[in-house]
Amino acid sequence: MSLLEALVYGAIIALIFGTILPLLYRSKNTRKASFSLSFFSSILLLAFAGTVLYTGKEPTFPAFGFLPGLNFTMAADRLSAGFILLIAAVVPGVSIYSIEYVEYAKSEARKDIQTVLTNLFILAMLMVVLAGNMVGFLIFWEIMSLSSLMLVLHDYSSEENKKAGIFYFIMTSLSTAFLFMGFISLFRLTGSAEFGHLDYAASILTLPFLCLFIGFGIKAGLVPFHKWLPYAHPAAPSSVSALMSGVMLKVAIYGFLRFLLSVSAPEIWWGVLILIGGSLSAILGVIYAFRESDIKKLLAYSSIENVGIIFTGIGLYLIFKLEGLEGLAMLSLVGASFHAFNHALFKSLLFLCAGSIVHATGTRSIEALGGLIKRMPRTAALFLIGSVSIAGLPPANGFVSELMLFQAYFYSSALQDPLLKVLLIITLSVFALTSALVAALFVKLFGITFLALPRTKCAKEAIEVPQPMLSGEAIPAALCILSGLFSNRILALFGFDFGIPDMLVIGLLLVGVCGFVWLGVRNTGFSKTPRRSKETWGCGILAQHPTMEYSSIGFSEPLIAIFKKIYRPEISSTRTYSDTKECIFKDGTTKIHFPKFFEKYLYLPVAHTVNVISFQVSRMQNGKLGTYVFYVFIAVLTLMTFTRYFA
Amino acid sequence: MNASFLLFTLLNTGFILLVSPFFMSLIKKVKAYVQGRKGPKLLQSYFDLRKLMQKEVVYSPNSSIIMRITPYLNLGALLLATLFVPVVFIPNAPAGIGNVIVFLYLLVIERFFTSLSGLDSGSAFGGMGSSRLMSLSAVIEPTMIIAFAALAYVLKTVNFHEMFAITAGSTIPESPTLSLISISLFIIIIVETGRIPVDNPATHLELTMINEAMILEQSGKNLALIELAHAIKQTILMAILINTLAPFGLATELTFTGIVISCFYFLVKASLLAGLIGLFESSIAKMRLFRLPGFYMMAFFFSALTILMEVFI
Repeated sequence: MSLLEALVYGAIIALIFGTILPLLYRSKNTRKASFSLSFFSSILLLAFAGTVLYTGKEPTFPAFGFLPGLNFTMAADRLSAGFILLIAAVVPGVSIYSIEYVEYAKSEARKDIQTVLTNLFILAMLMVVLAGNMVGFLIFWEIMSLSSLMLVLHDYSSEENKKAGIFYFIMTSLSTAFLFMGFISLFRLTGSAEFGHLDYAASILTLPFLCLFIGFGIKAGLVPFHKWLPYAHPAAPSSVSALMSGVMLKVAIYGFLRFLLSVSAPEIWWGVLILIGGSLSAILGVIYAFRESDIKKLLAYSSIENVGIIFTGIGLYLIFKLEGLEGLAMLSLVGASFHAFNHALFKSLLFLCAGSIVHATGTRSIEALGGLIKRMPRTAALFLIGSVSIAGLPPANGFVSELMLFQAYFYSSALQDPLLKVLLIITLSVFALTSALVAALFVKLFGITFLALPRTKCAKEAIEVPQPMLSGEAIPAALCILSGLFSNRILALFGFDFGIPDMLVIGLLLVGVCGFVWLGVRNTGFSKTPRRSKETWGCGILAQHPTMEYSSIGFSEPLIAIFKKIYRPEISSTRTYSDTKECIFKDGTTKIHFPKFFEKYLYLPVAHTVNVISFQVSRMQNGKLGTYVFYVFIAVLTLMTFTRYFA
Repeated sequence: MNASFLLFTLLNTGFILLVSPFFMSLIKKVKAYVQGRKGPKLLQSYFDLRKLMQKEVVYSPNSSIIMRITPYLNLGALLLATLFVPVVFIPNAPAGIGNVIVFLYLLVIERFFTSLSGLDSGSAFGGMGSSRLMSLSAVIEPTMIIAFAALAYVLKTVNFHEMFAITAGSTIPESPTLSLISISLFIIIIVETGRIPVDNPATHLELTMINEAMILEQSGKNLALIELAHAIKQTILMAILINTLAPFGLATELTFTGIVISCFYFLVKASLLAGLIGLFESSIAKMRLFRLPGFYMMAFFFSALTILMEVFI
């Protein structure tokens, strides 16, 4: 056993201990130790993934046979190492944050359970990525889903959370069902459960492709299978939301990539389907995010958008590869993977900060917040870093991956097929619209939450969260900036050179120029201009009141008007009048309601159909022995007939 | 970093910084003439900046550090953006300076922080401006990207320096499709600099204002820096259009005469363009806010048309 394997085993053992310890010794210190163990394991994984990515050396693990004919094997190549790196980048921040955050749970038992499940969840996600065959993949996939389900249900007493849990459970079961179908059809084709090269014609692989695309798409939150995200994220503890959004969605993307990259001859319509699905998710995700005022729901929708961008990159990869443009294909694929990594960092940062805000103010609605930058300056600074990264401002990391995808689009003039070119122009404009809307979205989120006057008492009385939580947030924040600045160095280290602009130079120049401006203003005699503090101009009103400020929904109003066709707002109003002729207005209410399009036209009809069918089926179950014997008799008769005539 | 690039940094940035306020006054002057007024002096913008620099800065007690750093970040981002658009000569730029996408996102930095500072003081005007700016700029973004993608399609590079090195040799546009892109680029200038019919830079009336609303609470030297950044943005966007449509005169080598000629030609061409912008502004009425996406669609159409022509011919 070489050092490389030892690192992995060390990490796994640390996580197992982290899972078991809080069950054995139930105290605050054990919980602390448990999170320290997950922190420690991520350091080991960081070393492991870095080495594998840098050297390209693939470690070998022995197989464990646990059922006749079924082995569980572990394997790691550069693809899995990339996603292990992602896990190792997110977990340290979440672990340190959780040390303090888990103590806010309602009872001792819940604190312990949350610790145990968080560790188990991390372990399961790691094992899914490490799994060398379908058996291990599916087993740990289920553990991952169930542990996260229990974390979503951790506060099971509220009605809203129960609904969220059931929704998540149904969607994740559906995802697993599709994965099973996909894997079984692959198994029938190859006769082995190993992940290997699939040298088959694309027409044979159509069924597995569609099943796996839908299965992984549900878990990753691709439109129209995205509905569970905005339910599950607000219900789960924020540290778990950070893991779910940061890592779990990426594990689904890993699974999809694992399949896609092993197919030797895919077809062009696969790429087109993935590209269209991705673009649609991206644009609808951000448009739906815009109408939300619940900070965690908003971030959940933003995850849908980012997953869309990642799938866009994967679709581009497939199209470029099949058209023989290897360079552009690699650029898109690495761009998509890098975006997955970046999204893991800034989304976990934003969810952790959201957790701090919810803890400090007791509300998730940003309409009730405001002015937090004065009360929680450190959280505000960290949240600003997250917003800047996700909005794709240079030189932060979110910009770099978007830049790579934009660059791939811009060079697509090398494509031969004119129809593909037209498709790429359309998706490029959708991508551009998406990225601009994200900037607008995070101006709204940061501006309404942190700036101006507090809108309610709970925001006014907020105080800064304790140091461990801030440190936990600081890790992904620092990584966001560093992985942006050193993006070229990091990609070059792992053997990718695309000639993209060097963010380190641009970042340094930006800081330099801003410093130059500052010094210029200071040293040219203008420093002595007096300063004065005076109330914001309010058209003659003496003291400013928070109700004068722009609200979250007010901020979104122009976009809601522009995208009316998508939001389809329903406005209903009631009015009463003081006179009989209805001239003098007395009182009234107006309601703006946004219908839930997918729920209304896709989810509910499907659920309704399933209900009707199960009602019909349940009529066959009357609980009498005679009836069941009769059913068996019919079944035997049918079988006999079938074998006689058809087999 | 080579010596020629270092010189470029100083000359190009210095030149744009110097001439930018001039074009602001020039447009005002043209508009005034059309309206039958005498208009401000051509150097009025410089006097205004000097006056603002000496005035006291008033901060709202509600405002935070965002309000205080925004002016510096704005001007910093725009000064950095000047390196991406060569006006004096075309250097050998390192590290992907000149990349179209980085350029566009430097403009997003300015927009992002200006919008935040609009929300910072808690004034309804500022919020209105931020909300409108971010919404409208989101809708114009596909047009911008497609226009620049069309440039990249025609000229086969994503770097402004390389693009203009290709166009600079010719007196007329390199390809007829470039004149179509120019229409989109012109609309982008109008939108990005907040001019009629999108926004009215001359009024402080809440029905029309977008940009002026956000900087309503800024004062003194901070306002001066923001105004200067705005002027620079206008100049570099004009420079992109000029270098695409009428590239003659731009030096591709570092020579003294080349630089002088480049500067001279740029001043003449940019003055003409500024005059054109002034006339355009005078000849059209402010549009209703929600009519604007239609106006943007026009620009989108022209740039998409360019790409489609490149695709199918």
